[in-house]
Amino acid sequence: MKPRSLIGRMTTLPSRVGQKIGLFDYIPEGLPPGAPPPRHTFRWDLDKTYLRTEFDSLADLAKSAIETAADKQAYPGATALLRALRQDGHRICIVSGSPTQMRQVLAAKLALDGVDYDEFVLKNNLKNLLRGRFRALRAQIPYKLPAMLQSRIGAPADAETLFGDDAEADAIIYCLYADIVAGRVSLTDLERVLIASRAYDDDAARILDLARRVPKHDAVNRLFIHLDRRSAPVGFKHYGPRLVPVFNYFQAALVLYGDHVLSARQVIFVALEMLDSKQYELGHLATSVQDVIRRGRIARETALQLVAEAQEAARSGALSGRTDLPPFEQISEAFRARVRELGPIDPGLIEPTAPLDYVRLVDEEHEHRRTRRKHGH
Amino acid sequence: MGWDRSRRRAFAAGFVWQDDSMHRIVVDAMGGDHAPDEIVQGAAEASLALPSAEIILVGDAAALGRLLPQMRHDGARVRVHHAPAFIEMDEKPAEALAGKPECSIAVAADLVARGDGDALVSAGNTGASVLACARRWTLLPGVRRAALAAVYPTELRRGEKDDPFSLILDVGATIDATADDLVGFAVMGSAYAKLVSQNRRPRVALLSNGTEAGKGPPAVVAANAALVETTELNFIGNIEGLDIPRGVADVVVTSGFVGNVVLKMLEGVSDTVVRLARYAHKERLAWRLGLIALSSAIDQLKSITDWQQYGGAPLLGFSHPFIKAHGRSNARAITNAIKVAQKSLAGNLCGNIARSMAELEERAHRRPRAASESGAGS
Repeated sequence: MKPRSLIGRMTTLPSRVGQKIGLFDYIPEGLPPGAPPPRHTFRWDLDKTYLRTEFDSLADLAKSAIETAADKQAYPGATALLRALRQDGHRICIVSGSPTQMRQVLAAKLALDGVDYDEFVLKNNLKNLLRGRFRALRAQIPYKLPAMLQSRIGAPADAETLFGDDAEADAIIYCLYADIVAGRVSLTDLERVLIASRAYDDDAARILDLARRVPKHDAVNRLFIHLDRRSAPVGFKHYGPRLVPVFNYFQAALVLYGDHVLSARQVIFVALEMLDSKQYELGHLATSVQDVIRRGRIARETALQLVAEAQEAARSGALSGRTDLPPFEQISEAFRARVRELGPIDPGLIEPTAPLDYVRLVDEEHEHRRTRRKHGH
Repeated sequence: MGWDRSRRRAFAAGFVWQDDSMHRIVVDAMGGDHAPDEIVQGAAEASLALPSAEIILVGDAAALGRLLPQMRHDGARVRVHHAPAFIEMDEKPAEALAGKPECSIAVAADLVARGDGDALVSAGNTGASVLACARRWTLLPGVRRAALAAVYPTELRRGEKDDPFSLILDVGATIDATADDLVGFAVMGSAYAKLVSQNRRPRVALLSNGTEAGKGPPAVVAANAALVETTELNFIGNIEGLDIPRGVADVVVTSGFVGNVVLKMLEGVSDTVVRLARYAHKERLAWRLGLIALSSAIDQLKSITDWQQYGGAPLLGFSHPFIKAHGRSNARAITNAIKVAQKSLAGNLCGNIARSMAELEERAHRRPRAASESGAGS
């Protein structure tokens, strides 16, 4: 390779420095020309969804900023779930509110976990700061919504599944995105939502343009909200049956099994990762099954079918080498017993999706955020 | 962590494998004046506060399934076990248990008896709860009779936790008690106070009609003679009723009949004081002003003696811990009762009681027993 001239190096220096300090926006490249559209895209948030992150105080923020990739901890089961989805050839897009300066360490963490992805968008808060756009530092909707719309324009999938958490406004953003993509939100309504979310005018104009251009299809059929704050699940009831609040990733895997996205074998791998984390035991997993059935998120029959299929998978070697576990026949019987002991379920727990009043939801979210700040969490 | 023989056995019996440090606490979700709402709320809060516990709510699954999602909780640590019936607070225990074999307290006690739970918490009908446990659980080796304990706020604080409550037992699990029973109650009460109040040497006393060793009915006199000889217990002799609120003893031992009368009287006195204060508040402006001036002190007193912070009192002597929460328990009291149950399990309360009872029995075999029925009452 020919050594680059001094002038050449000098002219690319600002660009390299800008890259290093995360000054530039990352724009997803989309699909290469002629490539077939993805079957299923999975969009993941990182902090509090994939990574156990605390940013409720300044000390937490500072700690999070200086952590190395090896220090960062993924939630039990999340890595196995992401890898299972990737192995099936699905598209993985990560949209995180972490600053672009964290790209190196976050990418290293994902590499350490063996998580491969197609897109990885971070928030350019340095640019916001330099431009004096302080409102944008905390804003979620004006950041995440265009990032997701842009991504979909580049690679429109038949189906999409989104993963977020209960720390901020993920449920609102994801539902809004799902409804825009399905063509259920008019541009006038979207404009009202953007005003309520205090988006800057140029950001709002860009979002409206993206919403106009995004390929319309009712693609987003499942949204998961990881209950990191252990919020009451009923708080998400009005978002309808497509949004499933989950206490852990075994529950997400169960629902995805019910959606025919994951196989029983893949659900077992998620479960094994959770057991290996030492934060969960078989009893917890059995209780997690009961919880999603009780909340009407999967049918009893689906759970029992999973147990039967998992037993088959275990027979064919899915649990080989796991001497720390009891024979799967006994595990499966215990899971069945947990389903049996549940008794009758209230059928009225899940309500059909009614049109959401996003302006009201955004106002409520702002109010919640103010209250949380007032109470110091 | 290896898949050892004991776990294989447990699994063969149909139980889900749990780590030794994981405690399964069964809660009668339908028992109590504020059930199931406050009970479920308390259990939900406990699921967040106790990561090493799994909480099993027993009751109407449909009702519990409606309530749980309304509360912050950990869905991997709270489960529901359906029970189609429950016993009302004012039902007659034996009749109610016979008429409702699948009531929540019976199902809950069954779960623990089968090994699918480690401890039980209930705020429901006391008689039915005790009877349900007595019919299904076995007594610890060396324990002749179980004892129901109650806590009472006193002037003094005790243990590393500065606990203002003393323990009184038995308060009604049985009616009569022999000298041996009273000695057993003393051992059990002391083990419990050591663990829950973190009181290294709780002062144990017998309730009598005088402080002299020879006073009281024959069983009390004989128990006194036996307890004086024990070295493991910090036995301070007999105390009188007026010493209970003074906090002279940390563990007050008496028969179920006397204990129940004492407890009800203490509750009656407390209620009367509150009623008198209300009367004074209404009656004269000067009295009202006096009460207002004292209000911060009264609040302080209330917070010190708040029974909800204690959660509940145990039924001692069985092979599993049972914490009986007050019938009027709210969510906070239930959370604390679950914490007490978890503490009892973590501290191996039943194992400690069994060990103490075995030591006591061994000593009784070694030494010629004091003439148990020789003392006469005054």
